[in-house]
Amino acid sequence: MSGAMQHGDTILALTNYVFPNDVYVHWSLMIVLYPYITGIVAGAFIVSSLYHVFGIRELQPISRFSLVFALAFLCCATWPLLLHLGHPERALNMFLTPNPTSAMAGFGYIYSAYLILLVHEILFIYRPTMVGLWMNSTGIPRKLYAFLSFYNDNLSDEAMKLDHKIINFLAGLGIPMACILHGYVGFIFGGIKANPLWATPLMPVIFLLSACVSGISGIIFSYILIRKVTGKPIDVTCIRTSLKFLWGFFILDFVFEMLEVFSHFYMSTHHWHVLESLLWGPLYTTYWLLQVKIFSLIPFFLLGAVCLIKFKDRVVLFVAPIVSLMILIQVLLMRWNVVIGGQLMSNSTRGQVSFVPEWLGREGILAAVVVMAAPVVILFLLGKIFPFWMSEEPKDS
Amino acid sequence: MHNQSRSKYNSHLIKLIVALIVAGGLGYFARQVFMPASMGTYGHYRGDDIVDQLNVPIRLQTNESCFQCHRPIRQIHKEGIHNSVSCEICHGPFGDHIQDGKKVGVLPVKKGKEITQLCLRCHNKVIQARPRKSIKMIGLPEHLEQKGVRVDHTCDQCHMVHDPLLWINQAKRMMGIKEAI
Repeated sequence: MSGAMQHGDTILALTNYVFPNDVYVHWSLMIVLYPYITGIVAGAFIVSSLYHVFGIRELQPISRFSLVFALAFLCCATWPLLLHLGHPERALNMFLTPNPTSAMAGFGYIYSAYLILLVHEILFIYRPTMVGLWMNSTGIPRKLYAFLSFYNDNLSDEAMKLDHKIINFLAGLGIPMACILHGYVGFIFGGIKANPLWATPLMPVIFLLSACVSGISGIIFSYILIRKVTGKPIDVTCIRTSLKFLWGFFILDFVFEMLEVFSHFYMSTHHWHVLESLLWGPLYTTYWLLQVKIFSLIPFFLLGAVCLIKFKDRVVLFVAPIVSLMILIQVLLMRWNVVIGGQLMSNSTRGQVSFVPEWLGREGILAAVVVMAAPVVILFLLGKIFPFWMSEEPKDS
Repeated sequence: MHNQSRSKYNSHLIKLIVALIVAGGLGYFARQVFMPASMGTYGHYRGDDIVDQLNVPIRLQTNESCFQCHRPIRQIHKEGIHNSVSCEICHGPFGDHIQDGKKVGVLPVKKGKEITQLCLRCHNKVIQARPRKSIKMIGLPEHLEQKGVRVDHTCDQCHMVHDPLLWINQAKRMMGIKEAI
């Protein structure tokens, strides 16, 4: 069977001259989700660090939730890669035969180190809660909570001081690690010098900023959603502060995204003509119309208004989830435009392909929906073990 | 309060450190057990992989493999201007057609407009990088207009696909036209 038959469903049309090895979009939907999920993890961790390290007291209500949220997404961060590559049984080979010069393998090491750090930070932050639950439960939950509190029920001042030191150390270490985690993902694209859309040292910076933006939006959206669904009050001061941080990060993110295109345009390097034909060609709708005009400019001004004008609480609570959801979509579109967009132009610089994802299959839309729904399910299950909110802790502890 | 706790204030940290050291030791032990035996024999890869790669079935062959059965085409193709073009460029991999000496599938044969698309993959003049001296580059529909044929003609209506100049040269000989093509 010819290659075109195998990939036929995903290829719509070729224009001009496309090198044979550029005809197929090999990095498809799963590679769009990979930086998206990783970014949400890094961003959510930074929200928690704003309270734990930088002392932004207003964010205290979501500080613990954002860590568990980060863990839920981190559990699924490798799924898209495993689905894309196939052979998940080979995933751990990179630890058996580590190759320090492999840029691709770098994710395995950075991810693992970050996972270990995040799990430990959560366990230390939750230790008083776990001890309380340990004392108040029976049967299997009792054993689980005892295990999660390291079989130590000592909550004396001395023990808490020690825990606090460890938490500070882990949270402090976690910030550069979260930045490296997502900066690395940007680097993996930015380092591909053969692709003029990707090859820019700005790529890690843009990825990192969009990670912060998606993480904060994810936290705001899920916090409001969970509190509304469970009928609990929402801390509006916390939401207002989060929106301020969201706006700040989004200004930087959006400006850098635009500056990158502007720099290419102004320098008019020999690659500009292919980027121009890409951005105003197959990417026009997803880039200019959706990513820039609808899902960047509208949230940009909405956030500016909410942060600068003193609106009533219910206006803030109405706008916040809408803006967060729009920014979550903006970041997903940005990942799509970078990952898929970069592959829609041929290295001939004279041809383009178009791409429509398949529905079924290992890298289809259905698989993508499952991968994106999995962190939500994991978050729900983690919520059964680690109470998200302080008010739910047993008074006894 | 938990002042009466029997655990020491730092016992959880000590347990954690011990657990991490044990996990590290187990990891080191697992590496010794699961490391492929031939790893590093020739470089940073599994030495046995060379044998595995040798055993990968070969999909692409030379034109001579095709000509063992397709003898009439052999004569035409070898004498034509396309004699250096591999059969597989237009028809696809040999391995999709023959495996272990047996026919396993039919390779696609382009028809109609598909033939024009196929020819333009190499002969389209918008491909700036092509060496113009060795490959005839054309644009459509100018080429068809210049030759005085209908613009919806496909390439194979004038050019024999296995020897593109065969019919053209025959026609020129019949008409007594002598100039180089």
